[in-house]
Amino acid sequence: MSAARVVMRSMWRKASGKYALIVLGLWVLVSLISLVWTPYALLETDGFHAWASPTAAHPLGTDGVGADVLSWLMAGSRTNLAIASLTVVVAGIFGLALVAAMVSRHTALRSTSVVVVDALISIPTVLIALMLSVPFGASTAVIVAACGFAYGLNLARIVRPAAILAARSQYVESAVWSGASGSRVFVRHIMPNVMPVLLVQLSMSAGTSILAEAGLTYLGVGVGVGVPSWGHSLATSVRFISIYPLTVLWPGLIVTMTVIALHLFGDALRDAIDPLTNPELREAA
Amino acid sequence: MRFVAKRLLLFIAALVGLSILVFLALRVLPGDVAAVMAGTNATAARIAALRTQMGLDRPLPVQYVDWLGGLLHGDLGISAISGRSVVSQVGARAAVTFPLIVLSLAIALLIGLPLGCAAVITRNRRWRGLFHVLAIVGGAIPALWSGLLLILLFSHGSGLLGLFPSQGFPNDGWKDCGRAMASLVLPALATGITAGAGIMRYTRAALGDAAQSQAVSMAMACGMTRRQALLRVGLRLSMPQLVSVIGLTFAQMITGVMVVENLFALPGLGSMLITDVGNRDLIAVQSELFLLAAFFLLLGLAVDMAHHALDPRLNTASDDVQEVL
Repeated sequence: MSAARVVMRSMWRKASGKYALIVLGLWVLVSLISLVWTPYALLETDGFHAWASPTAAHPLGTDGVGADVLSWLMAGSRTNLAIASLTVVVAGIFGLALVAAMVSRHTALRSTSVVVVDALISIPTVLIALMLSVPFGASTAVIVAACGFAYGLNLARIVRPAAILAARSQYVESAVWSGASGSRVFVRHIMPNVMPVLLVQLSMSAGTSILAEAGLTYLGVGVGVGVPSWGHSLATSVRFISIYPLTVLWPGLIVTMTVIALHLFGDALRDAIDPLTNPELREAA
Repeated sequence: MRFVAKRLLLFIAALVGLSILVFLALRVLPGDVAAVMAGTNATAARIAALRTQMGLDRPLPVQYVDWLGGLLHGDLGISAISGRSVVSQVGARAAVTFPLIVLSLAIALLIGLPLGCAAVITRNRRWRGLFHVLAIVGGAIPALWSGLLLILLFSHGSGLLGLFPSQGFPNDGWKDCGRAMASLVLPALATGITAGAGIMRYTRAALGDAAQSQAVSMAMACGMTRRQALLRVGLRLSMPQLVSVIGLTFAQMITGVMVVENLFALPGLGSMLITDVGNRDLIAVQSELFLLAAFFLLLGLAVDMAHHALDPRLNTASDDVQEVL
């Protein structure tokens, strides 16, 4: 049995892992379906049935212009999937580059990277997004850049202790003495050691990027006008909260459930891929 | 001492770098500030006049030095829309935002610290599971949504229980302290719950690590109960770590605070910044962005200093680490 299947099976066995896999699987599936089919076209509106309660024709009701809430949420899931995955990629690459600098053999590089992270980490994501949105306008790229930058710094700070511990180990010492290059030592010996912490942190970053998207879109510096996203659905229903409270329920619920799934996914993945905590993986290898 | 000097130097360098970044973001990148501010129907003469009036026709370095000199004298420029000085605007708005952040943080600490400690102290598996669920669910709720749910539950007028006002801030500000406070309760709860769940997670992790330490075993060997040992010895051990986490939570809470300021129609710094960005009042935006970012850099500096002051091990250990690597 391949290692990947063992990992999936161990995750599936626990209730929290099962929940995470189901929700994330549905998320990807719905995003893919929404590319070719949604119950109604996004711009198809029915002015006579604005703010309709859930019916058979509109399972989650309609919004203020009579557009189908379910269709917008389905289309929104692909925007959020793109934001979350791109944020993970940007934060992962940026964070790992910082970690590599933090454990490098050049003293100057090492100490500058540590202090730069310490100095910049307190700048909130929303300020970075605002700074970028002035020249570039509100867009998905601005959210990804702001989140990727802020979460990359955070990642570097959290992963650093594990990386330093690995860098001081005897196997790294012997690798260095036998002539391995700096990049080889980092990729072969240090990265596997920080992987558990890294994965947990990355999946939490994906969750936080969804929350950030909702907040930034509400503030007008998130996804562009007319782009479907969960934050967009949440923000458009806010104005009529006291009259039509139901429409605000669905996007909020979806965001909360997905973020929970991402948190649990990180924890389950960490337990499943670490041979120290997962005996089955040791047997498979 | 070497650490303090190094950290201070870095703070100043970061401040200068930040000011250049904010300045350039508004000048060099696409879109001429004057053309944007004059609007789409403006004539070329109007744009040129505006450019001269705001000093935008001078070379960039001169403009930058001029702006920086103004900042050092506490002169942040004049808002092009309202005509008021940015300083007085920021001051009035900060009187709403800072109490809001402090109240949110207090709520977050009141929720996060006791629950985080309880999650480590309890031996009951059910309770542990419950605390785990609380921490994860609480941290997954968007501030916008929890704010809305709070409005639906507790606001005057539309809510189920009419306990607190949900819109606006008293016009006479803090003269009527009770009313001003009451209008901050729901927004502070909305951001405090999410931040509290984060603090709870970190407290549980830090105290959980401390529970494995020899200091806690020693305290128990000397006759303390597990709970006493954790609260008196374990908590003190994890304090430096918690202080830096709480400082960062404070900084990241500003996103939620900006959202609830808009949601609850509070005249705070966040809603001012959003309005000014929307109005393309770029001179004001430039100074406000810099001021806020500088505040958070200062906060980071304070947290780092506190961390070092609380943890004497760092002063000796950091040098050792440098040698080993």
